[in-house]
Amino acid sequence: MILIPCPWCGPRNVSEFRYADEAKVRPDPNATTPERWRTYLYMRDNPAGWTTEKWFHRAGCRRYFTLERDTVSNAVRAAEASREV
Amino acid sequence: MAERAPIARSPISPAPPVTVEYGWEISARRTSADLRIMDCTPLVKILVRASIDGGVARALEVPFGRAACDERGVLVVGSGPGEWLLLAPPGAGTETVRRVEEVRDREIVSILDVTHGRALVRISGEEAVDLLAKVCGIDFSDEVTPDGTAFRSSVAKLTTDVVRDDQDGVRSYLLHCERSFGQYLFDSLHDAGDEFGIEIEGFAGSKALSQPG
Ligand SMILES: [Zn+2]
Repeated sequence: MILIPCPWCGPRNVSEFRYADEAKVRPDPNATTPERWRTYLYMRDNPAGWTTEKWFHRAGCRRYFTLERDTVSNAVRAAEASREV
Repeated sequence: MAERAPIARSPISPAPPVTVEYGWEISARRTSADLRIMDCTPLVKILVRASIDGGVARALEVPFGRAACDERGVLVVGSGPGEWLLLAPPGAGTETVRRVEEVRDREIVSILDVTHGRALVRISGEEAVDLLAKVCGIDFSDEVTPDGTAFRSSVAKLTTDVVRDDQDGVRSYLLHCERSFGQYLFDSLHDAGDEFGIEIEGFAGSKALSQPG
C-alpha cells in the first residue's frame, strides 16, 4: 500500500487518489506551435527515479496537488509548494 | 377534495413502522440499544463553495476539517478546502440559504440546496469507533479525530463526508454521501454494526442535530 501525503488531508491510502500526469507547464495555446502542444499533450519523460507528478484526491478534498515519486521504488514525498499545481 | 402536500422520501427505505413527519416519510422505530443508526436525510443540507479566506469563510468561521454548531442550531461543516456543508433542521432551508446570501464576498460564491440530492446517516454509541474501523482507513481515536472533526474519505469504498458530532457526551458520527448510494451506505454500516448489536432508530429532529447552546 502506498500512503500519499495529501497537502490538505494528510496521509491517505493511494486508492483515494488518481494519478494526473507528470507535472509540467501548460503552454499558452495562442502562442505555442503544434509540435510543442503535441509534446505537452502526449510526450512523457518517464524517468527511472524521482519524478514530479500531479495527483488528484478523488475521494477526499477533490484538489489537484504536486507530489514527488520514485518510479523505481514507489517511494513518495511531498513536493515543495505541493498545493500549487 | 383536500389539498395534498408532496411527501419527500429518503433513498433509504424506512424501517417499519413508517410515519410522515416534517413532510418526509420516516421510520418511527425507537430503540434503547447502545449502538444506533439513524437515517438523517430529512435534515436540510446546503452546500456552499467560496474562497478559502473570503467573507463567507470568515462568516461561517469553521475551517476545513472542523465542524461546529452555530447559535441557530445549524451544524456548519468544513467539508473541503473552500467548501462547507450546512446541516439544519427540516424546513430551515430558505432561511439558511438567505443567511449565506447576505454575506459579502469579493469572490464567486455558490450556494446549493442538496437536501434531496444527498443521503445522511448518523451512527451513535461508543462502539461506533469499532464499526467505522471496519469500513474506513481513518484513525478514529480521540487524539486524531476528536469531537468536531470533519473529513472526506472512503467509507465502505464510497466517498463519504464524515463528521464527528458527539451528543451529550456520547460518541456520534454523521455520514454524508450522494443520494443514489444512500441505501448502500446504510446497509453497509448496518452490516458492519451487526456484531456490536446495532439497531435502527427512526428520524427525530431533536436527535438528528445537536441543540444550540
Ligand atoms: Zn486531500
